Amino acid sequence: MTALAGAVAWVVVGYFTLMHAGYIVLQAIAAARLRRTRGLRDLEHLPPVHAGFEPPVSILLPVRNQAASVAGQVRTLLALEYSELEIVVVVDESTDGTLEALREAFELEPFPEAYWRRLQTRPVRAVYHSRRVPKLRVVDKEHGGRADALNVAINASRHPLFCVIQPGTAMTRESLRAAVAPFVEDPRALVTAWDARLDEAPTALARLQVVEQLRGLYSRIGWSAINAALIVPPAFAVFRKDSVVEAGGYRSGLPSEDVELVLRLHRVMRSRGQDYSIQILPEPACRKPPASSLAELRSRRIEEQWALLESLQANVALAGRRGGPAGMAAFPFILAFECFGPLLELALYAIMAAMFALGLISAAAFGAFLLMVFALGWLASVAAIALEETSFRREAPPSEMPMRVLDAIVENAGYRQLVSYWRARALIGWWRERAAGG
Amino acid sequence: LLLGLGAARALRRWRAWRLARREGTWREGMLEALRDPTRATLPRIAAPELAAFLALWNAACESQSDAGRDNLAALLRFHDLDRRALRMLRRRSPRLRLIAITAMGHLKEPRAWRALARFAESRAPVISFAAARALLRIDAPGAMELLAHPFAARLDWPLTRIGTLFEQLGPAQVTRPLVDMLAAKPGGGLDRAMQLARFGDRRRIAPLVRNWLSNSATHPDVLVAALEYAGESEDLPWARTAANHEDWRVRAAAARALARIGGRQELPALLDLLRDPVWRVRYRASQALTRLEGLTPIELEALRENARDAFAADMLAQALAEMKLA
Repeated sequence: MTALAGAVAWVVVGYFTLMHAGYIVLQAIAAARLRRTRGLRDLEHLPPVHAGFEPPVSILLPVRNQAASVAGQVRTLLALEYSELEIVVVVDESTDGTLEALREAFELEPFPEAYWRRLQTRPVRAVYHSRRVPKLRVVDKEHGGRADALNVAINASRHPLFCVIQPGTAMTRESLRAAVAPFVEDPRALVTAWDARLDEAPTALARLQVVEQLRGLYSRIGWSAINAALIVPPAFAVFRKDSVVEAGGYRSGLPSEDVELVLRLHRVMRSRGQDYSIQILPEPACRKPPASSLAELRSRRIEEQWALLESLQANVALAGRRGGPAGMAAFPFILAFECFGPLLELALYAIMAAMFALGLISAAAFGAFLLMVFALGWLASVAAIALEETSFRREAPPSEMPMRVLDAIVENAGYRQLVSYWRARALIGWWRERAAGG
Repeated sequence: LLLGLGAARALRRWRAWRLARREGTWREGMLEALRDPTRATLPRIAAPELAAFLALWNAACESQSDAGRDNLAALLRFHDLDRRALRMLRRRSPRLRLIAITAMGHLKEPRAWRALARFAESRAPVISFAAARALLRIDAPGAMELLAHPFAARLDWPLTRIGTLFEQLGPAQVTRPLVDMLAAKPGGGLDRAMQLARFGDRRRIAPLVRNWLSNSATHPDVLVAALEYAGESEDLPWARTAANHEDWRVRAAAARALARIGGRQELPALLDLLRDPVWRVRYRASQALTRLEGLTPIELEALRENARDAFAADMLAQALAEMKLA
């Protein structure tokens, strides 16, 4: 019995070691990539790109019942600096006067658009053109959800690249140009995305989210360095339109359409044997607010977990040798440590606690296990904080340093387990719904 | 780890502070050199500081005219730093190598030619492209002979960057290599060369482009680029032929070319394209019709009203609305 308990304990220790070591290795890859690319870029002193070669971009903005904020959102997009862009706003059947708000703010008038239905969508009612802002068009359609609205916007867009920005994301005027730059440099570029940093806030909850986000961010940048970024944050992304259309556009009925789309693009491109690149841009060019309460945080994490599960399940064909680094390394890693990870983590903690309670392992062994797990997690978190500091000179004042380290401790001893609990519940809920034929 | 993090931060700050102080002195020397390089002074630059100094010097050169760059180069030579920069080319670190390569270009250092030519063949895009730029600064005609093929063939050298270089060099420098590229056999980056053709002397380039336009075996990518370039009435027969090409991208490019160089006589061809099964071709044809010389909005409206094809009528209505907005 003791021998069996020992073996189980080693399996548990092995799982946690593999997980945290995996994150630390990904951070090391991210650090190496950042050092190589950012260091050299600054020294190149390249002149600005010839404007005639800059690809035009369509910015897509799906809205529904946002009468109060929609004009402001459009004005923010109009402030972006770029040589040739258009803005396509899709009103997904609003009942609060969103279309009227746009009509008033931008003097819309009906436009006889020869609408190209490349992707199947809910019917379009009308297309409007702004008399005040020639690069703005508004499409009014029947309700079909965000994915459907984005597909309508893709159909109505005229340019070869399109950009989707999540509401609430703050950006600089230069964000778009910087996000398009990889398309100018690399003909294989298919998707580029900024991972929005969280706004610094004085609350403990916000600080813990910052630590959690940085650890995730640098692991994603690590995957991106080997063209295996499966989870692309949807804050600000630029896509090559033809490839998205060939892959079937956005899929409806998912909590996060963007995550599934990127996974599908990986799968489609790999299955065709085409060379491509999906890049997560590391610079802190966008910001978004953290969850302000535990309830909001819980709902966000459950939604993310649900999106991840749906997306992985829909693209399970990516896994395996034919999927390249994305299918051979990233897919199994994310499946083991991010998809089933939360449930496994909690189960393994419970097993170790039970073995300790039954006297199958000593207090010293149990203590050593907890210490090792927290220390490895803390190391991964602190490494992410240090990477952010050294890469982008985002240094906290010296007086806040102990607080940052404390955040990294609390993040691993309490916060992480709470998030795992929510994610595990989401996983169980998802399973139940699937079993019930949902 | 906390102590290590703190120590690393302190070290970084101390280095930044020390570098800022040094840079202040170096900047003063460079400013003086811009007025009179023989009177400018520089403190002794220690080996660990050389890379930072040259990086600053490169940045200063980028913002100067030719005369200013020559003065800054004289400053380097006067202090024997050109020799040290040349030696830095042998370093293995990509960062140091890049700094040295860029400095060699600003110095127009002929002794670096062979090493730079070797770097230009490197598989690393940043290093090889920086070496190509440095070679062009040292001897543009010689470098163009050496680099004509890679400019067309190296897919890791972005066309946008090459276009910017070609624009800076001007038609006098780039026409001959472009003629060589366009006279080559198909393949090996002919489509890229065709896209760069706009930077050359039109009188010498246009006949070569026409040659590819008239060749029925030309690859669609090359044809599209050739049609974008076409600008003379002699190109019209080939643009009309391209309007019936099996590849929709060629037909769309033909619509634009017909509007750009043709007149009313292209109306039948464009009306045919307006009924094309591919939306993008119809869109280009409708836009071409609104830009066609000699066609009035009233005539366009009449064309829309009389169009038997619903797709064509819709597309013309959109194009007319766009024209009014413009």
